Amino acid sequence: MKEKILQVKNLQVQFNTDRGPVIAVKGVDFEVYKGKTIGIVGESGSGKSVSALSIMRLIPDPPGKIIAGEIEYRGKNLLKISLGEMRKIRGNKIAMIFQEPMTSLNPVFTVGNQVREVLELHQPNLSKKEKEEKTIDMLRLVGIPSPERRVNEYPHQLSGGMRQRVMIAMALACEPDILIADEPTTALDVTIQAQILELMKKLQNELGMGIIFITHDLGVVAEMCHEVSVMYCGRVVEQADVNTIFSRPLHPYTKGLIESIPSFDSTTGRTKERLKTIEGMVPSMFALPPGCSFQDRCAYATDHCRGPRKNPPLEELEPGHFVACFNPLI
Amino acid sequence: MSSDVLLEIKNLNKKFPIKGGFFGREVAAVSAVNNVSFQIKKGETLGLVGESGCGKTTLGRSILRLIEPTSGQVIFDGTDVTKLNAGDMRAMRRRMQIIFQDPYASLNPRMTIGNILAEPMDIHDLFTNKVDRSKRLKQLLNQVGLSSRDTLNKYPHEFSGGQRQRICIARALAVEPDFIVCDEPVSALDVSVQAQVINLLMDLQKELKLTYLFIAHDLKVVEYISTEVAVMYLGTVVEKASAQELYGDCKHPYTKALFSAIPVPKPGHKKGRIILEGDIPSPMNPPSGCHFHPRCWKATEICTRIYPEATPQTPTHDFKCYHPIQKGE
Repeated sequence: MKEKILQVKNLQVQFNTDRGPVIAVKGVDFEVYKGKTIGIVGESGSGKSVSALSIMRLIPDPPGKIIAGEIEYRGKNLLKISLGEMRKIRGNKIAMIFQEPMTSLNPVFTVGNQVREVLELHQPNLSKKEKEEKTIDMLRLVGIPSPERRVNEYPHQLSGGMRQRVMIAMALACEPDILIADEPTTALDVTIQAQILELMKKLQNELGMGIIFITHDLGVVAEMCHEVSVMYCGRVVEQADVNTIFSRPLHPYTKGLIESIPSFDSTTGRTKERLKTIEGMVPSMFALPPGCSFQDRCAYATDHCRGPRKNPPLEELEPGHFVACFNPLI
Repeated sequence: MSSDVLLEIKNLNKKFPIKGGFFGREVAAVSAVNNVSFQIKKGETLGLVGESGCGKTTLGRSILRLIEPTSGQVIFDGTDVTKLNAGDMRAMRRRMQIIFQDPYASLNPRMTIGNILAEPMDIHDLFTNKVDRSKRLKQLLNQVGLSSRDTLNKYPHEFSGGQRQRICIARALAVEPDFIVCDEPVSALDVSVQAQVINLLMDLQKELKLTYLFIAHDLKVVEYISTEVAVMYLGTVVEKASAQELYGDCKHPYTKALFSAIPVPKPGHKKGRIILEGDIPSPMNPPSGCHFHPRCWKATEICTRIYPEATPQTPTHDFKCYHPIQKGE
């Protein structure tokens, strides 16, 4: 039986800019289950990071504001609770790792200090010695060699992969229920990426946390995720389990994304036909066309999609397979 | 040397000094590019792959002498460009161009697209006639698929990342070069736009008979676009082969590990993944013997002492390893 720990319902986030308000997230729904990974895929500006930051209530306000929706964590609406209560959950029950391990660590504190800070905030009952031991244990858990020595080092003394491990150690120090990973391997080299992904899978098996994995790399999605949500221009356009998304994408955008990766298979050799592309580019949030946001890039668009109508709603076309499209590829 | 080789590099080295001590004396040197040799034939693409810090960008820039190489030869169409004086070098750069990784940083925000594209033509005095010059500007934009009327009067900030990269490509093409160094031209772009730019580069190559040195860390992209591929690790080319041979039958354990680390967009894909231990060592203090030995699962005693020589596998494939991967391994 799958245990639901987080449910995001109709989340809408608006930013006030010099050129007027922009709705960056326009009604996003998804669920996180214990021990499972949900992938959120999309291009830059599709609203995937903003959705994640909303869960942590880290949207800078102003200029940002969550204008509608519910984020329900174990029966509690995170958008309704006080900041003090939120602070107890953030970093404790729900933790986050960011894309840039270079900039998300404080350069003037040792890494041990930064991991210990999490424990001091959320587990004040531990004695000084216990905290020290737990810090070293965490660093060992994420595969940092000779952690007794490394706790006293500063971030600049560590490589990118090691810094990302420290970030993971900080996030996992309180054994969170949910880990939000916002492009955790994008800044890393492939061999280091492979290490980090392997580590995250292992820790998920041991600790049973639910992971929200944000990425634009479909290869990483196929490897890490159980469920996938594809986002475009602030909306979820397709949602299904990972096998369905890759074998039977129903939204033209998802299909285009999958086809635009150069196919790579060392066993069957190389393919030399032209890469398939999605024509055009992501429209500006200030000048979205009326109707479906994807219409200008879509090969299947009809007058129906271009009409003055609203965006297509997300509908369950097959059991567990949700698509927002007027002309799905059935 | 056969006549269809456009660019040949012989024993190229680049050492960066490390200054230290009281008077900023040179205390050591980082060997960023270490005895690299290869050839690129006319109209072909050499892909250069490696992780960050392996020296691939330094190598690309040394070829154009944007970074002065420490020693070695760069022979372009029969001329050793490392021996040219500054004036001759500038003239030579009309035939050798470069496209950079970050299209946001490589266009001057205060210049219009028209001025950006015309600058290289003016430097090389290509057009004395204004009508011809503006005709050429329009032709360039058409070639890279940016053909709206007022593009020439716009500024870089009015374009998206993919469009800016197209402008960078147009600028490189402005002087009708024979050879272009593409330094990670697509890694800053979104997936759907990446494919557009790769297709554009390949179409232009066919149309204009261009020769590319394509630098990237993304093996999928490199295999797609390249005729030949060289894999670099800590300043040294560890394996070089035609794209087909390399992807079908790689010999160096590092190449094998790189391949196996690529996430495959097929859920449930089972493969023998090789997880390399540890990080890339610092080039300031490279390991003794084979630089790869501390991370290599096949390393033996000899690997820690002597750097392996290049071993030819076929006339187009060689590698530097004592314990090459056997087929089917």
